[in-house]
Amino acid sequence: MGEAAREAVVETVAVRSQRFGNYDVPADRILRFPEGLVGFPEARHFVLLDSAHAGSPFRYLLCLDLPELGFVVCDATEICPGYGADLPRPPDVKPGDLAVMALVTVPADPLQMTANLMAPLLIDCRSGSGRQLVLDTGRYPIRFALLSSRTTA
Amino acid sequence: MLVLTRRLGEVIRVGDAVTVRVLEVKGNQVRLGVEAPPEVRIYREEVYRAIRKENEDAALQKPSSLDEVTTAWEKQREKP
Repeated sequence: MGEAAREAVVETVAVRSQRFGNYDVPADRILRFPEGLVGFPEARHFVLLDSAHAGSPFRYLLCLDLPELGFVVCDATEICPGYGADLPRPPDVKPGDLAVMALVTVPADPLQMTANLMAPLLIDCRSGSGRQLVLDTGRYPIRFALLSSRTTA
Repeated sequence: MLVLTRRLGEVIRVGDAVTVRVLEVKGNQVRLGVEAPPEVRIYREEVYRAIRKENEDAALQKPSSLDEVTTAWEKQREKP
């Protein structure tokens, strides 16, 4: 009985965060960043939460190791056409499996939000493993304005 | 701080797997060649600090920020 019962259970990880609330995350949705993020070496497990708005390029990256830590992220290839074509891809990752996300910095006025294209997150969607790549080429800005100069006061 | 003097072409080894070689000295500039395993990330210090600062600025946003951001994005797109 033991085996069958165990197979029927979908493994979940319970996330309890005072700040962000409680989530039950299916184990197969967990993204692993073995090196953490720059400045957050202990942040190694994340889950991507979708926006309630259909078609939004933004998602929420919740850290499971530090449940008070989270980031707004966006699909970098969507906000900056052509981005990502010249990034070094891990040799064992197929192009279709690679997601390129940028961390979004949201100041008090969200119209001034920017995306960090200098240090994107590369995620292998197949294996769920990722890392933050630092592009020291001067080609991509650390603060790419998401809502360009059309913004009015 | 450990201080070592090296001549052109000489090497410093950090642990078993990392070496730093002096490749060129020109005026107040020094070119260094670093060899390290791929899991060892190598950054210029100012780049590392800038990325860390930006990560910290981007961190700790509430899931509700996602709605704010999406709303701002959609508003902007509706403009002619």
